[in-house]
Amino acid sequence: MRRRILALAAGLAAACLASPARAHYPYCTCAMENGQIVCRGGFSDGTGAEGVTLDVISYDEEILVPGKFGPDSTVHFERPAGEFYVLFDAGPGHVVEVDWRDIDGLAP
Amino acid sequence: MSTVRPKANPHAGLPGGRHGWRFHLSVLLLIIPISAGPRFFRDEALFFGDSGLGQRELGMKAVGPWHVSVAEYTADAPIDQGLAGHMKTFAIRWSPEDADRIKASYFRIGKPRSLRAAGVVLSGSPYRQTVDVPIPERAVPDDELWLTVEGWDGAVHQTAIPLAEASPATVAWLKERGEMR
Repeated sequence: MRRRILALAAGLAAACLASPARAHYPYCTCAMENGQIVCRGGFSDGTGAEGVTLDVISYDEEILVPGKFGPDSTVHFERPAGEFYVLFDAGPGHVVEVDWRDIDGLAP
Repeated sequence: MSTVRPKANPHAGLPGGRHGWRFHLSVLLLIIPISAGPRFFRDEALFFGDSGLGQRELGMKAVGPWHVSVAEYTADAPIDQGLAGHMKTFAIRWSPEDADRIKASYFRIGKPRSLRAAGVVLSGSPYRQTVDVPIPERAVPDDELWLTVEGWDGAVHQTAIPLAEASPATVAWLKERGEMR
């Protein structure tokens, strides 16, 4: 009986230790904070975005602010003039776009 | 001389006899896989491609000189993926004569601004590639699903599929989201 209980407990422990497979979608959210735009990025499995490129690009495809995420997975920049979008670029096909109209606190 | 009297079985006459709860548990352990079985095998067939490219096949589409079969992987509404937003899965299959000419393919809802922002890259073999396409915050039911394809020769071609054709479930979901806002 004792052996059975131990086997059951071991089985439950193994089930609890098994980590589920998780996708790692990139994400990026931007908001106005203290007069600056702050973008936070990362991946949905909890990985940070340190070193990932974040460019602020005008609607006519001119790079206004080239940047990279810092160790805290944020990028700070002044609001550029005109219409623009923020591109989180973790490599070809691993991008997230944030339109200036979707930046919290910057709504037209 | 003493006589041996058998002990009375309190569960006599009940299903499972004196192993009552264990009997019911074993019945439950049979019912669960039997009832979940058809769904499991349907999902497995979809996952391994035995039941086709996806639940809703859209047929062959031309992308410049190339041809591709497109399918909605599951005919359901987009799935909430937390911070990354809602995702909708699509699958494609390149025609055998084009398969080795394709470098990369990208899906995006709405026309891409540039090749750099072409959307999410499809992954898998040329004969079965899948992608989880994010649904933009500003997506509307009249939007289109854009497929951007880059060939090994450097050529880039695009095609657009109306969302109403690509995924009626997503259109219904977008209408519902629009009404709630």
